Amino acid sequence: MASLPVRRSGVDTLASLEAAVDAVVRRQPVRPGGDPGSDVITAIHETPERPAVFEEMPDWLRPELAAAYRAKGIDRLYSHQAAVAQAARAGANVVVVTPTASGKTLCYNLPVLNAILENRDTRALYLFPTKALAQDQLAELHDLEERLGDAFGVFTYDGDTPADARRAIRERGHVVLSNPDMLHAGILPHHTRWMRLFENLRFVVIDELHTCRGVYGSHVANVLRRLRRIARFYGSDPQFLCSSATIANPGELAERLAERPFELVAENGAPAPRKTFVFYNPPVVNRRLGIRRSYINESRRVAQEFLARGLQTLVFANSRLNTELLLTYLLEANPAPPGGEPAIRGYRGGYLPGERREIERGLREGRIRGVAATNALELGVDIGSLDVVVMAGYPGTIASTWQRAGRAGRRGGHACAVMVASSAPLDQYIVTHPEYFLGQSPERAFIEADNPEIFLNHLKCAAFELPLQAGERFGRIEVDEPAQALETAGFLHRTGGAWHWTDEAYPADAISLRAVTSDNFVILDTTHGEPEVIGEVDFTSALTTVHPKAIYLHDGTFYAVERLDFDDRKAYVHEVRTDYYTDAIRYTQVRILEQAARKPIGSEPAAGAHGDVLVRSQVVGFKKIKFFTNENVGAGELELPENEMHTTSFWITLERPFIAALPYSVSERQAGLYGLLHALEAVATLLLMCDRRDIATAIGERPGEPGPNGAPAARALPAEGSPGVEQGEFFEPNLYLYDAYPGGIGFSEPLFRLSAELVERTRELVRACPCENGCPSCVGPAETGVETKQVAMAILGRLCG
Amino acid sequence: MRWLEKDRMEAVSALRRVRAPAPSAAGEDSPRGRDQIAEMLGASIERNRYGEFLRIERWLAEPEPCANPEALALVLPSLAESSVLADQEQWLFLDTETTGLSGGTGTCAFLVGLAWWERGGLRIEQLFLRDYDEEHAVLFALAERMAQRPVLVTYNGKSFDWPLLDTRFRLTRQIEPEAFRAHLDLLHPARALWRLEWGTARLGELERHVLGIERGPDILGELIPQIYFDFLRGGSAQPLVPVFRHNQSDLSSLAALAGHMARLAAAPEQAQPLEQYGLSRLFERRGERSRARRVYEMAIASGLPVALGRAARRRLARLARRDGAVDLAHSLWQELAAENHGQAWQSETLSAFSGEDDPAERKQTLETILEACEQLAIHAERIERDAAEAILWTRRAEHLLAEADGIDRRCRERWQARLARRLERLNRAPNRAISRLTGTAPNPARRPARG
Repeated sequence: MASLPVRRSGVDTLASLEAAVDAVVRRQPVRPGGDPGSDVITAIHETPERPAVFEEMPDWLRPELAAAYRAKGIDRLYSHQAAVAQAARAGANVVVVTPTASGKTLCYNLPVLNAILENRDTRALYLFPTKALAQDQLAELHDLEERLGDAFGVFTYDGDTPADARRAIRERGHVVLSNPDMLHAGILPHHTRWMRLFENLRFVVIDELHTCRGVYGSHVANVLRRLRRIARFYGSDPQFLCSSATIANPGELAERLAERPFELVAENGAPAPRKTFVFYNPPVVNRRLGIRRSYINESRRVAQEFLARGLQTLVFANSRLNTELLLTYLLEANPAPPGGEPAIRGYRGGYLPGERREIERGLREGRIRGVAATNALELGVDIGSLDVVVMAGYPGTIASTWQRAGRAGRRGGHACAVMVASSAPLDQYIVTHPEYFLGQSPERAFIEADNPEIFLNHLKCAAFELPLQAGERFGRIEVDEPAQALETAGFLHRTGGAWHWTDEAYPADAISLRAVTSDNFVILDTTHGEPEVIGEVDFTSALTTVHPKAIYLHDGTFYAVERLDFDDRKAYVHEVRTDYYTDAIRYTQVRILEQAARKPIGSEPAAGAHGDVLVRSQVVGFKKIKFFTNENVGAGELELPENEMHTTSFWITLERPFIAALPYSVSERQAGLYGLLHALEAVATLLLMCDRRDIATAIGERPGEPGPNGAPAARALPAEGSPGVEQGEFFEPNLYLYDAYPGGIGFSEPLFRLSAELVERTRELVRACPCENGCPSCVGPAETGVETKQVAMAILGRLCG
Repeated sequence: MRWLEKDRMEAVSALRRVRAPAPSAAGEDSPRGRDQIAEMLGASIERNRYGEFLRIERWLAEPEPCANPEALALVLPSLAESSVLADQEQWLFLDTETTGLSGGTGTCAFLVGLAWWERGGLRIEQLFLRDYDEEHAVLFALAERMAQRPVLVTYNGKSFDWPLLDTRFRLTRQIEPEAFRAHLDLLHPARALWRLEWGTARLGELERHVLGIERGPDILGELIPQIYFDFLRGGSAQPLVPVFRHNQSDLSSLAALAGHMARLAAAPEQAQPLEQYGLSRLFERRGERSRARRVYEMAIASGLPVALGRAARRRLARLARRDGAVDLAHSLWQELAAENHGQAWQSETLSAFSGEDDPAERKQTLETILEACEQLAIHAERIERDAAEAILWTRRAEHLLAEADGIDRRCRERWQARLARRLERLNRAPNRAISRLTGTAPNPARRPARG
């Protein structure tokens, strides 16, 4: 096969792009009025070219800074850059919503550098979600530093910073580029060394603010509390400048994270090329079971249409494994010329910086024609702009879909993005409801900074940094009560109106901002004699994935679990060839401790509520399920410890008349309830911008009226994947969607607020699915002959009514 | 806050502790019976404008002040002006006991041990926080003592005690100690002098091996923070007594060690060979070149282990060359180059030479010999004007390098390039009569006739 054609002129590119889109589309034309879900191309969305909106450089700008930017070819600002600069100048905290490649760096560099040039004592701290992004910004700031005759110092401070360079950074760094993790474990606990920085700290920049959500965001909010507390100690009160991808609540998120009022700049003044966004749903091959063609294969086919026409194409996959698969396929189709370098490359985390720079350069120079990447290429890294982005699978959030799509788009050209949906419910919802995706962003980022586990851990760090004063507030909470609890536990000691740290340990070391819990199980492979560590799973997944006799899949290889050493947190496995996988049976019991609010939903007697719950769960057994046929080929019992967790939950109560009015048999009603919960969970992750692991579900009998101290326990009932277990009918079922993190992470209250939207979107998801009685894309696989989907639709109809 | 209710707090793992706090021993000491503690510890109460704290005083007849304090400067390469040592009245020995070893702002020095020379012996003063609220008073007192005696003497104080105290001072936001005139950290010279011999530079070990003092029962350092925490929570002061004693022992050993080091520096001929080697290295680093040379010679003469002897010769040869002592340098390089005469350069023989199996050691041995050959080549070329001899030494080095194994690639390539450049230059030199010699090894035992 011939090597790929080299890049042609702009006009040709345009023509090839149109030809390629045609080829993709022509193969599977849109059929208006066709059966929903059966279309392959579900939408083609065109965005016309958008010209830039400029404003003059502000008149207060220092002439040398204006000159430095002019020398870089920037003599005017985009309107949003000007708005941020103005607001920052006025002392406001600002959050700016910027798509990829719209010049967001300048939004904060301009006001920050101007302030430094006005007063050389001024200091700024930039926080990036990844080290790679900080490195990119370093290059840009170094360039400005040079143009300004070394008028300021800029350094990165992260785990890679050599010890001997650190002193210089602390003294001379006007701008310190770091990340929340380093601030948490390396800077704040040693703040006396950073006196110069903290005494003069005027700006804190948070890049990619929308990544600070869920557990991680809740940690970051507490790190910022500690940062403000230390700054206050040294007499400073920094201003926050943040950037975020497009989400529904950037202002709210910023305010929750930094606990300050924010000014929002959402109008974007950067130009954008003409863009075509194609929604591609792989064709159905088995209608009854709702099975579609492999989205990986379809993505490859789509990408090849573009590559073959000489268009520079970036293919995103959602896992390393799929990235490697796509890379292999694309290399087969486009081999390197004899003796030449390959025109298709892979790109993912774990590549060395030099290697990454080389690929980025190759892309900019056009030597590399195609890249298969993980989300490592999603955030800000400068690779120039490509012609086409193909996404193999929905990236999980609308915000990151736009960020990935934004990788395509040369100035004055025509860009194309294709989203190829997998059969996961979320993918199916998006691909069948493009208007939802293309409309006003519905995604909200949530955090719960007062989650007890997270709050107390950071309060410990805060006490290590400075004694806690009686009556002091940490965030919104007065520290006295929690500090007393920490005193009782022996971490603190109270004297003279303050609590002092009394433990030898350095508390920040024990707390990771990224890991859900630090309690992980190590997977040890004994296939080759000496046990060898092949991976780790967190505590909660361990019980369902590496229980004794489980089949554990790792990096494409199957392992059987021989032994689970619960006390030492180890699972011993060996490689096997198998024709089945295992599915754990977990009994989950939810007890409502306190109901915070309740309101009716829909026309029939049903209600939504949220509050604190106690979740007890235990893995009691497993099923063996045959590949491809999904037959149940065996089962086993397990004795594993019970797990107990306080958390928060949203739940829907279906009252007796509601259930009784459903025209289905008892067993069908039960199946329908579980199916409904399956679909609700998928849509909840969409609305909450969270991972499927962040939420868990259960069904339980509605308890009697809650007493003063919580409620009587509901009957222990199986949930999760075991609708087939023999049981009586729920009299008045509660459908729980609870936060899968001790203490809750702030999803329940928003779900309660959004409950009308939740049921409405869930109905849309189920209705649009072309399967007969249920499939993994909507209500989960249905047993033959059981009208799971129909029951779920009937319930949803009444809930939406 | 709802989650703060007691039953829910129990589930929070952030509150779980690996080691449970000791139950407070009510009755033994009344909770805030601070004066009673003073009595038990034989302490007095000192007050200043920041409050009060406990002071424990001792006077020891031994150790005695240094006979020759200025000699100490010889083993302190980083000390800029040695004149600060002359007045021993200015010295302030310092050693702290802390609530942890991890550093960071949450670690506190709860006991500040100080000592100075007084009436021909050592006065010890320990400043103790009965609780955290006494810290400012202690720091203020420390700043006062430092103003009186601005030459700080510590053991590992540059990396540990002082940064920690500096952090505590900064945290007060009001007490600023005057800058000290000098900080003598004895850990670094102690390492150079004794780690080769004893494999450690821990003060407690040196006390026994070098000073010949048996401390008797002592407390394990890692238990100290917990003893203090237990005391803070109302436990008895009794378990603190060994902590105070431990700190006193460390202070008196520190003072004795300073005297011992000064004595050795003043009279190296009385030192052990390994100490002599350490002394000469310290002298060299301080720029005391002739003194360093003299003591290197002493050390070599009194018999060092093979590897160290080689290292000492190499250092001495370098020093001699720089000082223009061409003959001395030349004979040392010859000794070094001759060491392997007739031996094949396999790793076993190399290790036999260095007396060790350690690859780093082996590499050092090889590099020493390569350097010797190189230096002999330079000597032949520049001084004796004998290009043939120079080529022979360079070829010999190449030969050794080719046969040696167990060295890393980078090191090998560096030497290969270096030797190749030299050979190339030598071969280009006007006197080409030497080509007849290529391929034969010179007789390393042969001493050139001219000098």
